[in-house]
Amino acid sequence: MERGSLPLQQGKKYYEIRLESIGGLGANLCGKMLGELAVNHLGLNSTSFSSYGSEKTGTPVKAYIRYCESGQEIRVHSPIVTPDLLVVFHEALLQDPGVWEGCGKHSRALVAISGSAKNLYTDVCCNLAELWVVNAQQIAMECHSRINVVMLGAMAKVMGFVSLSDVECICEAALGKKYPDALAGNLEGIRRGYEQVNRLNRDGVASGEPDEFSQREEEAWGYETAPIGGINPCFGSTVLSDLSPSRQGYLPIFIKERCINCGLCDSTCPDMVFQFMEGEYKGRKMMVNNGLDYYHCKGCLRCVDSCPVNALVQGLEADHPEKSHFMPNQELIRTPDYYRKAGADGYITSESFLTEKRMGGGEV
Amino acid sequence: MENQAVKFASGNEMAILAIKQIGYDMMGYYPITPSTQIAEGLDLLRSETETDIIMIAAEGEHSAAGVCYGAAVGGGRVINATSANGLLYAIEQFPVQSGTRYPMVMNVVCRAISGPLSIKGDHSDIMFMLNAGWPILFAHSAQEVYDFNILALKLAEKVRLPVVVAYDGFFTSHQKRRCLYFEAEQTVRNFLGQKKEEYPFLDLEHPVTVGSYMNEPDLINNRYQLHLAMERAGKVLPELYQEYESISGRGYKAVEGYQAEDAECLLILLGSSFDTAMEGVDTLREKGEKVGLLTLHVMRPFPQKEIAQACREASVILIADRQDSYGGGGGNLSLEIRAALHKSKKEVKVKSLVYGLGGKDFFAKDAVSMFEWALSPDTPDFDYYGVEPGKERKERPFFAPLLPEKTKIGATKVRKEEDGSLAVQGGSLNATAGMPKRLAPGHGACPGCGIPVNLNLLLRGIEDPVVLLFQTGCGMIVTTAYPYTSFKVPYLHNLFQNGAATLSGLAEICYRKQERGEIPAGDIVFIMVSGDGGMDIGMGSALGTALRGHRLILFEYDNGGYMNTGYQLSYSTPLGARSATSHIGKKQYGKSFFHKDMPQLMAAAGIPYVATMAESNPTDFIKKAAKAAYYAKEEGTVYLRALSACPLNWNDKPMTERKVIDGAVNCCYFPLYEVENHKTVLNYDPEKFGKKIPVLDWLSMMGRTKHLKKESYKEVVEAFQQEVDRRYACLKAKAENPIL
Repeated sequence: MERGSLPLQQGKKYYEIRLESIGGLGANLCGKMLGELAVNHLGLNSTSFSSYGSEKTGTPVKAYIRYCESGQEIRVHSPIVTPDLLVVFHEALLQDPGVWEGCGKHSRALVAISGSAKNLYTDVCCNLAELWVVNAQQIAMECHSRINVVMLGAMAKVMGFVSLSDVECICEAALGKKYPDALAGNLEGIRRGYEQVNRLNRDGVASGEPDEFSQREEEAWGYETAPIGGINPCFGSTVLSDLSPSRQGYLPIFIKERCINCGLCDSTCPDMVFQFMEGEYKGRKMMVNNGLDYYHCKGCLRCVDSCPVNALVQGLEADHPEKSHFMPNQELIRTPDYYRKAGADGYITSESFLTEKRMGGGEV
Repeated sequence: MENQAVKFASGNEMAILAIKQIGYDMMGYYPITPSTQIAEGLDLLRSETETDIIMIAAEGEHSAAGVCYGAAVGGGRVINATSANGLLYAIEQFPVQSGTRYPMVMNVVCRAISGPLSIKGDHSDIMFMLNAGWPILFAHSAQEVYDFNILALKLAEKVRLPVVVAYDGFFTSHQKRRCLYFEAEQTVRNFLGQKKEEYPFLDLEHPVTVGSYMNEPDLINNRYQLHLAMERAGKVLPELYQEYESISGRGYKAVEGYQAEDAECLLILLGSSFDTAMEGVDTLREKGEKVGLLTLHVMRPFPQKEIAQACREASVILIADRQDSYGGGGGNLSLEIRAALHKSKKEVKVKSLVYGLGGKDFFAKDAVSMFEWALSPDTPDFDYYGVEPGKERKERPFFAPLLPEKTKIGATKVRKEEDGSLAVQGGSLNATAGMPKRLAPGHGACPGCGIPVNLNLLLRGIEDPVVLLFQTGCGMIVTTAYPYTSFKVPYLHNLFQNGAATLSGLAEICYRKQERGEIPAGDIVFIMVSGDGGMDIGMGSALGTALRGHRLILFEYDNGGYMNTGYQLSYSTPLGARSATSHIGKKQYGKSFFHKDMPQLMAAAGIPYVATMAESNPTDFIKKAAKAAYYAKEEGTVYLRALSACPLNWNDKPMTERKVIDGAVNCCYFPLYEVENHKTVLNYDPEKFGKKIPVLDWLSMMGRTKHLKKESYKEVVEAFQQEVDRRYACLKAKAENPIL
């Protein structure tokens, strides 16, 4: 495809990109760079914005980018419903039908994966024109870059009308002056994203019709049924959130034989993960650590750092698909019908502070 | 026409650019979403010596407005930016400024007002400004934000009134677009000219009194002058638009239309929805429907004639309001337009819809639906657009309620000694692990966040039922995102200038109901939870509550910054720390003043118990919680402060936060002590254990203060160390001398 010429669908005024991510992976900044790319390097007009505040409502982050020809005004301010390109920054999002909203035969999708992509087509809830994958986390780790930068390189390849040097330019413009040290790694991340993104062949893989978006029982309040004043009588209902997508590759592993039941882990855990119950240890009646509620563990590893006897150690999530001592919250009197996938929602970006830090490869 | 360049920027970024180019003397501000970026961006430019604007971080919006007023009286060019409840908190100041006729400009980045608290965009805040005596310009694009900021100051100084530039929060403030700006700052400054003062306040040869005490028969004359100034603004604006067009090529009018000339049905809306709705109009025009749009660029002075003129061809007019004047039959835009149309003779059907509250998205297809609604003969004159009746929900709780017997686990016991002090038994980590958690898991705090850690430690030591009140902040946002809540106990939020007062009222009514036997007797511990940000803006309310001596606990988690809005400096941010409003650059080294000593301020209020606690000393923490509960039940107000880790903004590793907290304790930045019945007790002296470390060792553990290791910041670190040593020596002296 010719550089800079937009592949517009029939009847559409804009080429539309939607990024689906979890707070902290840098989709917001990635969207901004894509916006600048069009205006500053491709001779196009563009707009970019994010799902504002969503980082704070427990839902994952979305970023939107619209492109059109230079002479055209972009008038709409609304989110993108039918994307030409859908980019998913984290595998944990794949099963959420909302992520695939409005995708279809007109859409290409790019997904960051960590393992095999064999079953990916069956996870995807809808028909697609093309499906691409890239192991963004591994590339980012290897070249001291960030996932968003790797995805930027991969996107250039998938879009077709953006060259590698275009995205390199935009990365340099955003980073070169302020973070010269991090630039080389990020440029490598872009290049490897561009080169190592793969198009999946769907031969022999069945793909169903898009699922109906399941209306959740808990979210169906309206003006006739919601308690007045925004009052919420469903106490403790955040227990429905499955926060495992917040973990960035690591989790605490419990070696029960070593545990002396000192309780330090429980005192340092922000997420009420440890299930202490009355029991016996060395012949004494006391509170005993029975396991971890991995649904709510965000992988901060505070407990690992605090444990005086190494009964909690850092492990790779990929090495522990079967989590031993997995014990759901013991105070529950009713098991939830489902757990909703959620990210930590404290990732609040401040334009002038955090995004720079993230771009600079800083610890977040 | 003057030279212009292209910038891909958001509305807030264009406001920053205009403010920089104008060369304002001062900004007084308090961070509030979505206007916060303006102060942040200016501070960044300041640190890079691109502007020398004085930035004053007030402790709340009310004070920020006061700072601006004072600077305006002094003859400075002054700018402010705020949103939502910030605007409402400051609102008393605005008629003061317009009534005494001191020009300035304030950007109002429109957002929904509380409660329930929403941070997203609608117009419920700006409409409270209609009676403040400030001209109000409304920009619907990032380009207009830039242009109107320049126009606003010229208007303000011409008619000597403060002026608002309003625009949509997020839709306009955060969406990036291609915009034009003047390449040369001088172009902007030439357009504005020099500020002229009629009565220079700082002219000692001609002293003036500002702010007279004025009743009848004079006040009405003063108000008439204000009315005339507003009338004059209506006449001056078209001239300014024209003058501005000659340098920018962009012409403006009070009322802008799209396909409006021959439209039989007109939709009128404010802000970014105007642009989006154009696409809806195109769709309907293709089908031959004669529809069109209008928007207003100015809400005060209200362009009555222009609106009436623009509506003269239409037979159906629909006004879509992004707020409601509850009980008024429409939002304020509706009411004003209805009044304007009343003067025209033509028979016209006028309808109103309230839409898009709390940032609910507005799509082109919504505009189409609105036209269809307006043209239908069966629809009422006024309704809401986009509301859902919802479905019935069965209440099936996940947890059993935490009745008193569940939390009285006997792990911590408090006994009163003969000397009046309290002795605590138990409080071990193992035993208190049996305390049911008052919060459910699944909250959205960042991995490694200290807030839930501190809260759980506090509540482990309190075996009575608790009632919690959170002031606005991270702790509240991450636990109560509707339709979910983490709390398993009664919980209330109030805005953070008023939590302590609210809890005073709540506690007193509970005690009264218990006296009357209307609710069961028995101890309930009332606890207000606040960040250090809430203890800045809410300092007055907290001190007032302490001075009145209500029986409750004020618990502050101090993470040293306004983390909820993206880390701006708080008064408790350490000296030299980098934040979004204390950048590091050629002229700045981070925050420029010492951290606030809140425990000593509260101790001075004479309450029975003040204590500091840290998760690195968890048993001490739990025991103090038990004491606090006793005092709050029996004697009066308790103030507790825990240092709380924020991995995101401290910029360190989540897993090592307990060590960072330990460092703060060991360097005596955060000494562990209590003031019990006016007597100071040091609970842990790092010197005695050979654990004392220099302040710099602790500062080096966090990304936000790591730069202080550099030789060039030696003086800052020395000053920091001296202040910490001074405060610690003071504490020791108090501990050794009970009379102190």
